[in-house]
Amino acid sequence: MTLLTDVQDVQHATGTRAGRRTSRPVALLTAAILVAALMAVPLVFLLIEAAGAGAGELKGLIFRSLTWSLLWNTVRLAAVVTAACAVIGTGAAWCVERTDLPGRRVWAVLVVIPLAIPDFVVSFGWNSLWTWAHGFTGASIVMTLAVYPLVYLPVAASLRVADPGQEEVARSLGVGRVRTFARITLGQAKGAILGGCLLVALVLLAEFGAFEILGYQTFTTEIFTEFHGYSFAASCALSLVLVLLSLLVLAGEGALRGRGGRVTRTGPMTQRITPPQRLGRLRWPVLTLFTALVLLSLGIPIASAVYWMTAGLPPALSGGANVSLLNAAAHTAGYGVAAGALATVLAFPVALLAVRHAGRVRHLLERSTYLVLAMPGVVVAFALSYFTERYAAGFGYGTPALLAACYAIMFFPLALVGVKASLARAPVSLDEVARSLGQRRLAVLCRVTARIAGPGLVAAFCLVFLSVVTELTATLLLIPTGTQTLATQFWAYETNLSYSQAAPFALVMIVVAAVPSYLLGRFFQRPALTRG
Amino acid sequence: MRDVTVCGLGKTFGAHVVLAGLDLEVPAGSLTAILGPSGSGKTTLLRLLAGFERADTGTIGIGGVLVDGPGAYLPPERRRIGYVPQEGSLFPHLTVAGNVGFGLPAGQRRGGKVDALLETVGLGGFGRRYPHQLSGGQQQRVALARALAIEPAVVLLDEPFASLDAHLRASVRADVQEIFRRAGTTAVLVTHDQDEALSVADRVAALRDGKIAQCAPPDDLYCRPADPRLASFIGEANLLEGVVSGATVKTLLGALPLDPAAAIPGAAGQVTVLIRPEQIDIVPNEDGLTAHVTSYRYHGHDAVLYAQPEDDAGVEGSRPVVVRITGGPHRPVGSGVTLRARGPVFAWPAD
Repeated sequence: MTLLTDVQDVQHATGTRAGRRTSRPVALLTAAILVAALMAVPLVFLLIEAAGAGAGELKGLIFRSLTWSLLWNTVRLAAVVTAACAVIGTGAAWCVERTDLPGRRVWAVLVVIPLAIPDFVVSFGWNSLWTWAHGFTGASIVMTLAVYPLVYLPVAASLRVADPGQEEVARSLGVGRVRTFARITLGQAKGAILGGCLLVALVLLAEFGAFEILGYQTFTTEIFTEFHGYSFAASCALSLVLVLLSLLVLAGEGALRGRGGRVTRTGPMTQRITPPQRLGRLRWPVLTLFTALVLLSLGIPIASAVYWMTAGLPPALSGGANVSLLNAAAHTAGYGVAAGALATVLAFPVALLAVRHAGRVRHLLERSTYLVLAMPGVVVAFALSYFTERYAAGFGYGTPALLAACYAIMFFPLALVGVKASLARAPVSLDEVARSLGQRRLAVLCRVTARIAGPGLVAAFCLVFLSVVTELTATLLLIPTGTQTLATQFWAYETNLSYSQAAPFALVMIVVAAVPSYLLGRFFQRPALTRG
Repeated sequence: MRDVTVCGLGKTFGAHVVLAGLDLEVPAGSLTAILGPSGSGKTTLLRLLAGFERADTGTIGIGGVLVDGPGAYLPPERRRIGYVPQEGSLFPHLTVAGNVGFGLPAGQRRGGKVDALLETVGLGGFGRRYPHQLSGGQQQRVALARALAIEPAVVLLDEPFASLDAHLRASVRADVQEIFRRAGTTAVLVTHDQDEALSVADRVAALRDGKIAQCAPPDDLYCRPADPRLASFIGEANLLEGVVSGATVKTLLGALPLDPAAAIPGAAGQVTVLIRPEQIDIVPNEDGLTAHVTSYRYHGHDAVLYAQPEDDAGVEGSRPVVVRITGGPHRPVGSGVTLRARGPVFAWPAD
């Protein structure tokens, strides 16, 4: 027995198996550092620009009443919408995943689709039908309906893998149904809820189009306006405040999450089927709420677009408009493909390092790329365009390449999540077996890793593609002169109040984004083929 | 089929020494089990043999070819090692046939050879299924067929039966043993389960402190372990004080014949005696050690009891004696028993 205890002490000292890997992946590390550096470019540019403007001027531009009113507008909207999304998203996720709600599978799809509809199309839908839908009230309603799936999705996913046995144990220990929900279920979903709320808050800080339509002034809309009015110093000052605000949100989420927020499951990862909770008398009220939610979030934007298309004259269907629609769609697709491919390729080394070679430096490297999350699209675009124009002698300014790079940086975190998830499906042990069977590294990459990770890489590509299709802010700032995408053309018509001409673009964006996101949702819900 | 020679193998992770000058010989055609508790470096040894890690010191030879050593390193794909990982690690995107044929040249991946291998492991007709459609035991056998397909110089198995249910483990273990025996495959199996090591392997190497403490046929290792610590690790053991004179040794269980293999210098003096629980019988009230039962574990096929020798038996402060009995009546705790041991027993000179 002494032998056993001796050795167990030793085992503690050895630590995890990941620590076994001693080889230093130099090429991979270099690539990942380059990617991390690229992700830092917008922030660096912004700081260079700020330095150029001078501290005194920036101080004057930041500490004025406009900043405070923007701050008040931004913060109160973020607080209200985040809270509303947390309640709606968590409640909906629990009902769909854990209760006997009739038609759960259909609801599971319907409550996610609103995410695919661009926020500015949702606000267009409301604002073009009802004039009262503007300002703070309008923005609260529209943004809540547009982004609550950001909370729903992670919470539903975490409830799906969390052990329902814990709820049963709590009940068996004499804890009631409501308190079990509060203490166990919400505890299991805490990390997911916080993560979802973080995304909601960041989206609100970055949103431009919807607020412009609703006439609600935030940092993003003001930066845009100042930039278009060639007040670069003001844009720069406000951008700094906005980035700081985003960093605060990120830090706040990290602090709230704490250390013990992880949901672990002790048994094997087999999904045990537990009978869903009975809604009982709440069944009809809950069904009514779900119907209302889907009608408001999905029905109104679509109905509105269809209404304007049919209400107006048929110019939308005439030859000229169709060509423009096709042309814009082609440009959108082109940018989507370029940015999707670029972001996926950039994410690959960082993800591979994170998944295959655990270590503090590498973890830090991966984390650093998430700083991009704190850079709203308008800031990235502003930093890139102003820098290239002013400091790089116009090099790259107004080119498609700059816009594609901007997209790739903005949506890098999305690609990284997708690539990491797909690489995690191909464990190192498979590579080792393949090599022991006489295959060289390259052959292993082609025959095993890429084959298993492939579908996930495509999914990561699609995520970025979809985000590009519905992106407006950076596109408006960086699109080469004379080119139009679906989003910018919609925007041009919308600002001219040509609703019937804008409507077809809205519908096309909805269709282009909604169908693949449905498929993507299915892909990410599918369990991995092998168990750990 | 070739043999494996390991000399002075050392491997350190950070500040922790996992292997410290390990020597091991695996004869051609044998099934050798590496036995050690989890964390003892078994898996590290296997990964070094396979070439997934490089040794810090020492050499590894496979079939007379130096595959790892100062200035020499053969990558895993050129070692012709059949590696069967713990969980099987089947390629999830390939069918069973695709998995088995993975290491074969492109032309041979479908057809006779793959089918024949699946027959060998008892999975004929399963070729078109996917890994997730198989049970754990079936996955393990596919992993074995996949390793055998490349006609490896040696097959390495990393705790291959650990993930199987107890009843399945015995049958898969027997199948694997039979497959190896028929093909004359050289195999190295790593396990923490001494039952498994003793029942499956031709030779068992006990791994301790980063070295092989002893490598011997199973019965040798069990009956004649290199030292008392090892005796307790492999099965249950009574380690008693004794005095040797000539061919007998005197213990508290009486005078017993000494195993001739025990090397006692001068054939006399103080020794530590190993008496296995099954070497002790409960006898009717005759000559023997009187004791009372302190614990009783019933297993169906046998029972294990701990008996504390009575003080008036002339031995004070002795520890309880472990006894394995087959059949016989239930022995309630506190009841009196008389114990007698059967020789020959093994012994080491006392420290």
